[in-house]
Amino acid sequence: MIVASLILIISTGLFFFYFQVTCQRILRRRFERDYFLSIVNANRLEFPAVRKALEDFDAPVDYPRVRMTLKCDYLALSYLLKNAANVDQRYTREERLLMLYFRVVFFFLGLRHALKLGEKSAIINLTAILQYFANVVGKRVTTVRFGNLAASDYLLSL
Amino acid sequence: MVDWIGKYGLSPMIYLIEVGLLGFLILRGHARRLISILLYLASLLALDGIARPYVWARYGLSSREYAYFFWVSDVALTLAAFVLVCALFRRACQHLEKRMWHDVRRLLTLVFFLVLGISYLVLSQNFKNLFSQFIIEFQQNLYFTCLVLITLLYVLMQKVEPVDDELTLLVSGMGIQFAGPAASLALLRLAPEEGIARFLATYVGPLCTLGMLLIWFYAVAQTPKSIAVHGLGRKDPELAEAVAREA
Repeated sequence: MIVASLILIISTGLFFFYFQVTCQRILRRRFERDYFLSIVNANRLEFPAVRKALEDFDAPVDYPRVRMTLKCDYLALSYLLKNAANVDQRYTREERLLMLYFRVVFFFLGLRHALKLGEKSAIINLTAILQYFANVVGKRVTTVRFGNLAASDYLLSL
Repeated sequence: MVDWIGKYGLSPMIYLIEVGLLGFLILRGHARRLISILLYLASLLALDGIARPYVWARYGLSSREYAYFFWVSDVALTLAAFVLVCALFRRACQHLEKRMWHDVRRLLTLVFFLVLGISYLVLSQNFKNLFSQFIIEFQQNLYFTCLVLITLLYVLMQKVEPVDDELTLLVSGMGIQFAGPAASLALLRLAPEEGIARFLATYVGPLCTLGMLLIWFYAVAQTPKSIAVHGLGRKDPELAEAVAREA
């Protein structure tokens, strides 16, 4: 019984560890340029400000506000991932995996807050996922052209 | 609904991805570079995709023959994965000192024959008594041994420069493939009568295999490869000329 319990605990922990390693590898993908900037500006997303505040100024975390901000940005970006310049109008496999990863980290953010374990690393993780999504949307939007205008130019001109 | 997806949706999807990945590796010229992955996939397809459905169709799902074949082929596949982990160790040690690889090889050979010997002895002694907690415990231990080896490989990879993204993804795919079933079988041993434990033991394995195959597909298709150019100018004068022009 003790051996089975140990195997259960260690294997479950390693399962989540390898899941995280996979997601982190996907997030390491380099884009040719910072496509996310135009998307952040056009949609007034707030995650870069949250990240900057935590990384550069080591500001204290206003948990309810940060949680709401990240959730709203996630909803906006997941909508854009599916609908902005996406001919198939569906998520790719890695997008689905990262969306699952976002939900898992978001759940653990709540847990860490409840247990007072510090939320900073989880929040930075979440902003990295959002930045990846914004980069993907930005790249797609830049690639698709409407007449002489790129979709990002169109969005910025609104 | 879940049963239907498990029986008629999940398995065909896994077979399709196995065939697709095999085809991709061969057609895109990765077969030689990733020969160990190719052989493992071929054995997975042969046993899980062809032999098991054949035995199922011939003897029926609830027959003793199918149950025997299922568990014995599962042991064979785990041992094949063990060999694959050894091959991945070889790749991870490429940038380390030769002596280190020799030590690792000796250790892996010893562990492999130890596992093989113990598996043979334990299985042959309990072959008539296979449908008990024994096989669950045995497979759980075998999966866990592989998982420990994979984790050792992952730790070793952290010391190797340059970082091999493709190898990291291949290893984390295998980690998921073994961690899920090891955990679900351990849960089944702890609570054999619980419905949720039976449900997880049935579906976690195929789902983790599916996850591993998709991660491998991503690793092979998406990860940019770093190309080492040896003997520049001797073997490929056109490449040398192009590089000189760029410089």
